[in-house]
Amino acid sequence: MGFLHKLVPPERWKLPVLLAGGVFTGLALYAFYISNAPSYLGDKPETCVNCHVMAPQYATWSHSSHREKTNCNDCHVPHNNVFNKYFFKAKDGLRHSTIFTLRMEPQVIFIKDAGREVVHKNCIRCHKELLTDSRLLAYTRETHNFRMDHKCWECHRETPHGRVNSLSSVPWARVPLPGSLTPEWLENIMKNNKNN
Amino acid sequence: MKSIQEILKSRPWLGWLIFLATVAVVFLLGMLASSIMERRAEAIFAYTPEVKFPAEEPRSSVWGELFPREYNSYMKTADTSFRSKYNGSANVDMLDESPRMVVLWAGYAFSREYNQGRGHFYAIDDIRNTLRTGSVPSIQPNTCWTCKSPDVPRMMKTEGPAGFYSGTWDTKGAEIVNPIGCADCHDAKTMNLHISRPALIEAFEAQGIDISKATHQEMRSLVCAQCHVEYYFNKKKTEGVAYLTFPWKNGTSIEDIEKYYDEAGFSDWTHALSRAPMLKAQHPDYEVYSTGVHASRGVSCADCHMPFISEGGLKFTDHHLQSPLNNVANSCQVCHREETEKLISDVYARQDKIIENRNILETLLVRCHVEAKSAWDLGATDDQMREILTDIRKAQWRWDFSAAGHGNSFHSPVEISRIIAGGIAYSQDARVKLARVLASLGANKEIPYPDISTKEKAQAYIGLDMQKFKAEKKNFLETVIPEWVKAGAEREKSYYK
Repeated sequence: MGFLHKLVPPERWKLPVLLAGGVFTGLALYAFYISNAPSYLGDKPETCVNCHVMAPQYATWSHSSHREKTNCNDCHVPHNNVFNKYFFKAKDGLRHSTIFTLRMEPQVIFIKDAGREVVHKNCIRCHKELLTDSRLLAYTRETHNFRMDHKCWECHRETPHGRVNSLSSVPWARVPLPGSLTPEWLENIMKNNKNN
Repeated sequence: MKSIQEILKSRPWLGWLIFLATVAVVFLLGMLASSIMERRAEAIFAYTPEVKFPAEEPRSSVWGELFPREYNSYMKTADTSFRSKYNGSANVDMLDESPRMVVLWAGYAFSREYNQGRGHFYAIDDIRNTLRTGSVPSIQPNTCWTCKSPDVPRMMKTEGPAGFYSGTWDTKGAEIVNPIGCADCHDAKTMNLHISRPALIEAFEAQGIDISKATHQEMRSLVCAQCHVEYYFNKKKTEGVAYLTFPWKNGTSIEDIEKYYDEAGFSDWTHALSRAPMLKAQHPDYEVYSTGVHASRGVSCADCHMPFISEGGLKFTDHHLQSPLNNVANSCQVCHREETEKLISDVYARQDKIIENRNILETLLVRCHVEAKSAWDLGATDDQMREILTDIRKAQWRWDFSAAGHGNSFHSPVEISRIIAGGIAYSQDARVKLARVLASLGANKEIPYPDISTKEKAQAYIGLDMQKFKAEKKNFLETVIPEWVKAGAEREKSYYK
């Protein structure tokens, strides 16, 4: 507590320190707000198009049969336990946001090895009967191993995002990108001024 | 322990350091914030085209300059080469296919001409060409234009819905010249899907639902539901105006809609043979689709009729609205991993089985009308006929509801089977009652089934002067249409270039 006590400014400095602290906090909160930061804790697919470079992934998913049963996290973060889920999500998310902020995103985004493993495990998580079906196993003892040795999408290549993807592959797709930050009342005032 | 002031007094450089560190942090935070802002703004610009034409621009070719892929695929709706077993995009004379329909619609304009619809591209041509619209003055109100053109929202903007609907169909012929196109479903500013026709918004309001809350996925069906629905012309809403209304107040099932019409005491026409107060089902596509398994799994109209397609490195929505049977790979096979032939044969199996009973119902209805006419001719009274006519109304409403929709027997085969079964029951009820009435009037033998083996014979049987209608239409197409086309082109010269 002694340390905290040392941070309390003397009486005549209290006001400037409060103001300066307010500037910091306000700016940080502003960054938090405009980046839709709280959305990253949830599972909504709209969160992933906070960055518009993910629009092709969103658009292709929303035109696929996986649309009805899965969101992005169902496939792209691990689900073995909640800590791993958020650890992986934070790790991937921070890398994505860094690359996006530094404008280092490639024209064609490829999934990394760690992500591939996660997706593959998630395919199995829902479709495990395709690997363990005893009738299928009866064909050959190797069926199970063969299937485990390959990634699902080596054959199911269109699932679910299709084979052709790039930043510019879905021109004008209707994707729930974050809209304008201008509040409605301000926009109305601006519109009225324009009309006058 | 010294206070901060004392430390700073002895080491002033430390004060400067704190100051510079603070500057750096605030500077970087600001940079981050402005970068986020920039990229958010980018998102708006990257996915919202810079549209310069006005919101009500009715010419799809102007929109097409910004959206060449969507426009080019839309233009393929001009293709009439695809014919599936029962539907497709070809212009099929349905009265020729089933002359029984002529008798079923005796006394109503549908008995003159009824064709399998072609693509959206032909919306204007087909409504001009059909004998149902007649010539000048037309037998139809302007309401008939409502679903045909993006010129409609343009006109409604100035005249309001009731103003637009008023007057006979020929009075707006020069205004409505562009076939169904971009502005019917898209907002010109954002390119988002929007509802351009008031009837659907009003129908949702009548059910207490706010349509503006619909999700994008729902909108991918609702833009179609602006037109592909059951509707009627409400003449009680505004004096002298055939106000386009969807009868959905009680719900959208066939019974809900029937109840609505019964409560309103509404009938489309009185049958020329049986004198029954008839209902004409339009095309209850959206209502029937809603009862099907695809709807309950969240599949929208656009998912099958406008799937994503790839062209080079790009993916976009195929605006060639058509039967998915002509595009199985991009529609059905997104979810169903089966061979194309297998999937098509699955669809045909449902259609075959349903049309089997529909044909039975159709024949029964012909008999109902013919037998009722005989009863009237023999001097039956209103009291004797009342229940019978109600049964006929109910039976034919069920037949028409099943037959009029596009692809009903695939969209919801179980529901359509149920409806047709109900229709057969009502028509047989009517015939049992008719047999008693006829017997009491001394006719205790089978009333012969008329020779309606061709469309021409059927039209002669109900007493239509087809030569007159055709001659009038021919004259109309040769003299009036060129005037409309010329006036439309003249007006559009002043539009955005």
